[in-house]
Amino acid sequence: MTTNSLYAVEVEHLTVSYLARPALLDVNVRIEKDQLVGIIGPNGAGKSTFIKAVLGFVKPDIGNIRINGLNVQKAKGQVAYVPQRGSVDWDFPITVKEVALMGRYRQIPWYSSPGSKDREAALEALKMVRMEDFADRQIGELSGGQQQRVFLARALSQGSDILLLDEPFAGVDAATERAILDVLDRAKRVGKTLVVVHHDLTTAAEYFDKLILIKQRMFAYGPPQTVLREELLSKIYEGRLRIFGNVLKSEES
Amino acid sequence: MYDLFIGPLREIYFQKALIGGSIVAIVAGVVGCLVVLRRMAFLGDALSHAMIAGVAGGYLVMKLLFDFEAHAPGMLLGSLLAAVATVALISFVSRISRVKEDTAIGIMYTGIFALGVVAVSVFRHYIHIDLMHFIMGDILGVADSDLWAGAFVAAIVLSVIILFFRHFQLATFDPVMAASIGLPVLVLDYVLTTCVSLVVVSAVSMVGVILVVGLLITPAATAYLLSDRLEPMMILSAFFGVTSVVGGLYMCVWLDSAGGGAIMLFCTLQFLLVLAIAPKYGLLARWLRLRNLVPQQVTEDILTTILRYNRETPLTIVRQYVDSGKGLNRALRQMVHNGLLLKSEGGYTLTEEGCKEANNVLRAHRLWEKYLENIGTPKDRLHTTAHHLEHIREDGTVEYLDEKLCNPEHDPHGQKIPNCKLVA
Repeated sequence: MTTNSLYAVEVEHLTVSYLARPALLDVNVRIEKDQLVGIIGPNGAGKSTFIKAVLGFVKPDIGNIRINGLNVQKAKGQVAYVPQRGSVDWDFPITVKEVALMGRYRQIPWYSSPGSKDREAALEALKMVRMEDFADRQIGELSGGQQQRVFLARALSQGSDILLLDEPFAGVDAATERAILDVLDRAKRVGKTLVVVHHDLTTAAEYFDKLILIKQRMFAYGPPQTVLREELLSKIYEGRLRIFGNVLKSEES
Repeated sequence: MYDLFIGPLREIYFQKALIGGSIVAIVAGVVGCLVVLRRMAFLGDALSHAMIAGVAGGYLVMKLLFDFEAHAPGMLLGSLLAAVATVALISFVSRISRVKEDTAIGIMYTGIFALGVVAVSVFRHYIHIDLMHFIMGDILGVADSDLWAGAFVAAIVLSVIILFFRHFQLATFDPVMAASIGLPVLVLDYVLTTCVSLVVVSAVSMVGVILVVGLLITPAATAYLLSDRLEPMMILSAFFGVTSVVGGLYMCVWLDSAGGGAIMLFCTLQFLLVLAIAPKYGLLARWLRLRNLVPQQVTEDILTTILRYNRETPLTIVRQYVDSGKGLNRALRQMVHNGLLLKSEGGYTLTEEGCKEANNVLRAHRLWEKYLENIGTPKDRLHTTAHHLEHIREDGTVEYLDEKLCNPEHDPHGQKIPNCKLVA
């Protein structure tokens, strides 16, 4: 049942509201497996509500969400979440190794401790993001990009096929952005589906296989060149489009 | 000496105080770690104050309905109910109104505390509770029933924390992920709050309402300064709790002071000491780190001096051009350590990395000079002003200057501007 669905994430007629104001209105999207998908849209467009819905945190007013063909409420843990850097307490007494190990917590029954198999899986994940040399560091001692990679390792050790990343590129420099993207690419190659909230339109086309453009409603889903069209963006970003003029041109060429 | 240390140990009251205090301190220390990390300290304070209404209520109900005088389990249950009611009221008020959580805590706990005080005084003919005892605690007069209650609570709470350690760790560190893998985050919150209430209730009879929050958070905060992992932090915190009780009790016997006060005073002094000397997060370590920090300006000056000299540079030359006072030797050592310089018999040379860095600085310096000349800065001030500006290099500053000045090859003094290929 879980594995024979063609789609990693299926969202049908999703409407979520806060009082009278819809945060998401009739959103329909089917995300294929093994893709690197970017979610773009202006501030307050409902990107974080979309994430919460896919994680199964918000109760939709109407609509269905299926993860690997399974209802989202029954698919707890099949979507691994990588939080925004700003939402983590970096002074927390925890080491890199322990964060990676947290990904295994779902599989470990409550009465037993993490075994050597779990530790190996955690270390394996750290190797994948090239952070194994930092395993015993406290997480606050790392640079921004390294911190992001540790949380990516946690998501990988969780063994989920779908990874949900909330603005992983926020507040890191260009070189770090490259390093993170490199890890994302590698994760994709081993068969993960990555859904990434992204705010920078100038890099969106280059980074992602497909883009989802939302602003309360679903405006487009598809390869970057079909999504980053001027009339669409001008409608959604209103007056602020001039900044993106060069994005569109470089797309056309 | 013998009298000072062994003497008190022979007294029954001192033994009881030591045992009871240590039990409470251990469990308070362990739970306190989670309280500190979740920033719930104020809530712990609130719970201890709200208890009085619960104690009075429990006393009254047992007395009026079953005619039990000062029924301990009844009062315990009453305090727990009061604690839970306080937490529920706080979250209710902060959720439905614009009043923020800290204010809601303040309102609710003082209100419920006041309710307890009024109840105790109105029903003073039925209830025989010594308010002073409640507020200040009486560790030297701890009753056997309190001792048993404390041990019982400690056993339950420690079992819960140890069994569900991973769950509490994850729910504290990253509640969103905890929920996403299906942990009952809300239930864990309530379990933890109940544990905190239990600990507070069992500790109040010993250190009193006002000081109990200190026993909960101060040892935990002390341990926080020393540990980078949660398990050692909990163990250390329990240890510091016990040392506070032991130290405080001796202090109280020697000085003939109040027991609870002495314990918390010792606990606080212990925290201040650790704050001063903790190897990683202490004030002394911080000061040493700042002292050992080589100012960027000095590093850059050393690099460019050696680059301009263009061969093995003796210390005297470096000293002549770099104005850094006493820190020069330390700066040089640090730069050798960081792989920017090579030390040899005749002086210092640049490593490949150091050379790259030096060229970056020099390029920025000469471009700034050119820019300053363009905007009409007097010639004699070009060098000094550019010297201040040369550290501004990032986010495309250098490229901007280069472009704006049409890729100049020489600075105003006619010297070559290093190639941009060397710019990292």
